[in-house]
Amino acid sequence: MKDMIQEAGVHSAAKMYAAEYAEGKLSRREFLTRSTALGVSAAAAYGLIGLPAPAQAQDAKVGGKIRVAMEVKGTKDPRLADWPQIANVYRGWLEYLIQYNNDGSFEGRLLESWEANEDATQYTLKIRQGVTWNNGEPFTADDVVRNFARWTDGNVEGNAMASRFPGLVDEATKTMREGAVVKVDDSTVQLNLTASDIAVVANLSDYPAAVVHSSFQDGQDPASNPIGTGPYIPQEVSVGQKAILVRAPNHTWWGGTAPLDEIHYVDFGTDPAAMVALFSSDEVDANYESVGEFIDILDGMGLAKEELTTASTIVVRMNSSSDLYKDKAVRSAVQLAVDPKVVLELGYNNLGKTGENHHMFPIHPEYPELPAQTINPAGLMPALEAAGLKDAEFEVISLDDGWEAATTAAVQAQLKDAGMNIKHTVMPGSTFWNDWQKYPFSSTTWNHRPLAVQNMSLAYTSTGSWNETAMANPEFDALMTEALSIADADKRRELAAKMGTILQEEGYIINPFSRSLFSHHKEGYAGLAHHPAFEHHHYKWSMA
Amino acid sequence: MGLFVLRRLGVMLLTAIALTFVVFYLTNLQPNLEKLARTEGSVRMTEEAVQDWIAQNGHSGSIFMRYGQWLGVVPGWTYTDEKGQMRGRCFEIGQDPTAAPTYCGLLQGNWGYSTFFKTPVMDSLGEKLAATGWLMLAVMLVMVPTSLLLGVLSGMREGSATDRTLSTFSIASTATPEYVSGVVLVALFATAATGISPLLAEYGLIEPKKTLFLASATSAMDDITFWNFALPVMTIALYGIGYIARMTRASMTEVMTQQYIRTARLKGVPFRTVVMRHALRNALIAPFTVIMLQFPWLLNGVVIVESLFNYKGFGWTLVQAASNNDIPLLLACSVVAVVVVLLTQLISDIGYVFLNPRIRLA
Repeated sequence: MKDMIQEAGVHSAAKMYAAEYAEGKLSRREFLTRSTALGVSAAAAYGLIGLPAPAQAQDAKVGGKIRVAMEVKGTKDPRLADWPQIANVYRGWLEYLIQYNNDGSFEGRLLESWEANEDATQYTLKIRQGVTWNNGEPFTADDVVRNFARWTDGNVEGNAMASRFPGLVDEATKTMREGAVVKVDDSTVQLNLTASDIAVVANLSDYPAAVVHSSFQDGQDPASNPIGTGPYIPQEVSVGQKAILVRAPNHTWWGGTAPLDEIHYVDFGTDPAAMVALFSSDEVDANYESVGEFIDILDGMGLAKEELTTASTIVVRMNSSSDLYKDKAVRSAVQLAVDPKVVLELGYNNLGKTGENHHMFPIHPEYPELPAQTINPAGLMPALEAAGLKDAEFEVISLDDGWEAATTAAVQAQLKDAGMNIKHTVMPGSTFWNDWQKYPFSSTTWNHRPLAVQNMSLAYTSTGSWNETAMANPEFDALMTEALSIADADKRRELAAKMGTILQEEGYIINPFSRSLFSHHKEGYAGLAHHPAFEHHHYKWSMA
Repeated sequence: MGLFVLRRLGVMLLTAIALTFVVFYLTNLQPNLEKLARTEGSVRMTEEAVQDWIAQNGHSGSIFMRYGQWLGVVPGWTYTDEKGQMRGRCFEIGQDPTAAPTYCGLLQGNWGYSTFFKTPVMDSLGEKLAATGWLMLAVMLVMVPTSLLLGVLSGMREGSATDRTLSTFSIASTATPEYVSGVVLVALFATAATGISPLLAEYGLIEPKKTLFLASATSAMDDITFWNFALPVMTIALYGIGYIARMTRASMTEVMTQQYIRTARLKGVPFRTVVMRHALRNALIAPFTVIMLQFPWLLNGVVIVESLFNYKGFGWTLVQAASNNDIPLLLACSVVAVVVVLLTQLISDIGYVFLNPRIRLA
């Protein structure tokens, strides 16, 4: 382990402190304070003095259980997972190479460290030593290579990871290219990409990228054979009811001891009003998310609030494959008829920041400042008339859930005020998601992604797998290809500015605000900080 | 009598087959299959991927053949993917396909695999039916004695003040649907902010709890208590109480005008004895049918109440199965419904014979 750290280029003074610690001249606490002040991460500092590197406060009390209200969906092959809730259950026993923390940083979990070359075409991954699967086998470089083969397999329908590593894929067979992922030695794996890719690290941290064991069968339910490296195993997963994680027996977790003994997920549906009743009757200790006016109510009940400003957002978008929205002038007029401030207030109680109709937010490293758009409701009707749509009937579709419906209603109301003949249709989740990419005009929620280009390449390039606008702008596509090769956020910002301008001008999206995320828990629990992608890092949770 | 029961069972079988085929047909409509593909595969699948998924998971081909697979008269589907891994109706991923049986439908005792719950249908449905069974039992224990008492009391002296009061109550309760009474009951008894709970909490009468009753019955799945079970039971029972009480009252008033009652009264038999010994048994024939009819009706009632109170029984399962297009589970639910409806009818027919010796089953 010491070798690993030295290779990663640790400050020489830190090594000196480590030697002093070994000689007993420094206390552990003193050593940690001094070495982290030199810029050494706490994890690396622990590594220097030969302790396992827990990214966890050392004083956390061990023991206790927590009941979290969250929808319990069926666990499925992680690469097919399409909800963070699914991942939050298998996170108990499946871990990730790299973890995205809620301060925006990336932390190696099953990787000790990683390094990219100049143009982001080659990555060297150093595998953490001393990690074992809960069946006793060691975690090795072969496991990493095998998981990359799973992720890059484009022949599997719905493989969420397949489009994430274009540089590793052989286009003809849609599987991992020969020589793309190479095991250099037992602790090193090299990624050789055909093109620059700056999102590799972020993609490895996303929730479908959980690392599975060699005995895992493709398409299998991971809970049926829960072999993983993590500290817990599932005792029970009853879809729609509950999931219980308990400590893995006879397993020494590389991260030390996860504080809580048991984690219970209980499914009470998604009605936010039910959450108030559940907290007041002491049936849950924490919830998945608090929304809208219920945040104030839950605050008033003496619960601890976790707040996080993110790039999670809602996009009310038009789709140009519909005749109504094929005209750019119409789309622009619709976009500019909606005042984001009003939508934020009516739709989300001002619990966020207004957006700029380009799906980028100040939290993103490459966020560009563009000139403010002029909101102009008076321009809507002339534009519709010019396109012969003066008397056309428009419809905007949304989910029937709380703030999503309210936001869409606020958009609809403003368009109606501007003279448009538009109605708002709500659908339950089970129907809405069947055709979410095809509605002519509808709202979609987008989770936070660490880099702005990640959302934009998924949603607005002509080949993006989640393109719901039917936007196909060659200039945008070219800019995106270029942006995705520049790892430096400052350099990438110039391109981001151009892409943002194109998105605004194309007028496909009304992107009224980014959300702050909230959740609540009872006093007496620690480490439940909200995560921008709703990830639950169980090992950080403890009884205070 | 034996022949009658046999004939009824035959009808039950035919009805079950007809109904399950209708359900099977509806759940196998193309849009429903696409929805299933998206929930099972991934929400973000492309159009072609959805079609592939449907074909590769045994949902393509003639609807009769697929229904036959479910019945177990047609061999189960199999599919071998490009990596040579086999999937099929009769075995799970990772099992040896050659060791699996060819037929695996209802006739072989295989109810299929619930796509939503990820368990065999029998396992999840059995557990849910047990949960609903407890709920129904509690409802019946509250509803039947209460309603009969109310009905008899108001029916024995038609037009009296007692009759008017009780009738008003029963009409009001039966005119209030569960989704209204449920919400009203929750607001009155089970929130910390409104109703009587804040008052009681202030006086320290319900320490350490904050509400008089619990607004969710989820915990009753593990441990039924008065606290978590009272509201769902009352919600269902209130509706039925009014209805059965009205029926009992009608039947009771009719009996009370009969000649033999008048004769008994004129002979000087005390009113109490007239009611208990002469009127009651005859007055109970009609309510008996109504009570038996309540069982299938309860299956409906629990859909609303179980969803409202998050009690995970048969009704909640039906809602989940329908909204996720879980084909095997929906089919099993329909079979259960058919059996419950026809079985209770059978029991009520047989019950007549004991209540009224003039009726004979042929």
